[in-house]
Amino acid sequence: MAKQVSRRTAADNEYLHKDFHGALSAGIEYLHQRYGAQAVRDYLGEFAAAYYAPLTAALRLEGLVAIRDHLAHMYQLESGKIQLTCSDDELLLEVEACPAVAHMRRHGYPVARLFSETTRAVYEAICRGTPFKVQVLAYDESSGGSVVRFYRSPQ
Amino acid sequence: MISCTDFIPAYSKLFQFLEARGGREAVLDFWHYLSDNFLGNLKRLVQEHGLHGCWLYWDRTLTEEAADFTMELDEEAGRFRITVHRCPSKSRLLECRRLQPYHDYCGHCDVLYRRVLEPLGYGYLLDASRCGEASCSLEVWDPKKGLDVPACPEAFASCAGAPGE
Repeated sequence: MAKQVSRRTAADNEYLHKDFHGALSAGIEYLHQRYGAQAVRDYLGEFAAAYYAPLTAALRLEGLVAIRDHLAHMYQLESGKIQLTCSDDELLLEVEACPAVAHMRRHGYPVARLFSETTRAVYEAICRGTPFKVQVLAYDESSGGSVVRFYRSPQ
Repeated sequence: MISCTDFIPAYSKLFQFLEARGGREAVLDFWHYLSDNFLGNLKRLVQEHGLHGCWLYWDRTLTEEAADFTMELDEEAGRFRITVHRCPSKSRLLECRRLQPYHDYCGHCDVLYRRVLEPLGYGYLLDASRCGEASCSLEVWDPKKGLDVPACPEAFASCAGAPGE
């Protein structure tokens, strides 16, 4: 049996480990089981408010194009098919199938019952404190396909 | 959706969230849950291929994580070792100014893999003493080969410099 050695550098590969979706799903399911549904929303909301703070700031300054560009970049990276329709007051995101859910289904990872909160709770947290709100108009549990509307709040 | 490229900060935040709710025990309980429910692929590979299963598992995960690493396998000696020169996940966490990393973020690598490998009869050691520099090493060894202590890096000196062999 030969000895084997493999040496790789960061530049050799792209940073895209899709199994992380499965790990996040496991974390969401664990939180749900042990601490309840609200804990899932609280956790995702706290994470998104902190981590996506620059996006929230950009949303305040630049409007919905900030979210549009973020979504376009993210779904391109994950090879997700989406349609974005954007005006000054409204942005419609139509996701044919969520790349995270598709990866988990393909590889047999369980999809958390509240995995949709990675859309709902996360986008709500990003919009908090801005003139914009978000509505999840449709969400398909089996594919993660969704229709999400970001809109300028009338108040 | 949270992109998989944003997962590591989300993971670190989850550890903090759990610790705030239930202390260190809550974090450990989650790591045990994750090991039992998420690392079935590592377990199957090692059950099927022995130490070579470790090579197969980490070759894919470290490649997809774009890690800077050296991986060494000596099946005859019963040793498998990874030296992570620069962990992309930990380095991203250290560079992220918006979230304070969980204080024992790298601890999950010790708990999760040990829990899979030791019941299969292998020794496991994670050296996380340089995790503040996003660097670590881990070693898996087969005690049936007469080894009851982890190998030192010199144990692999003979195969260093032969990448891709």
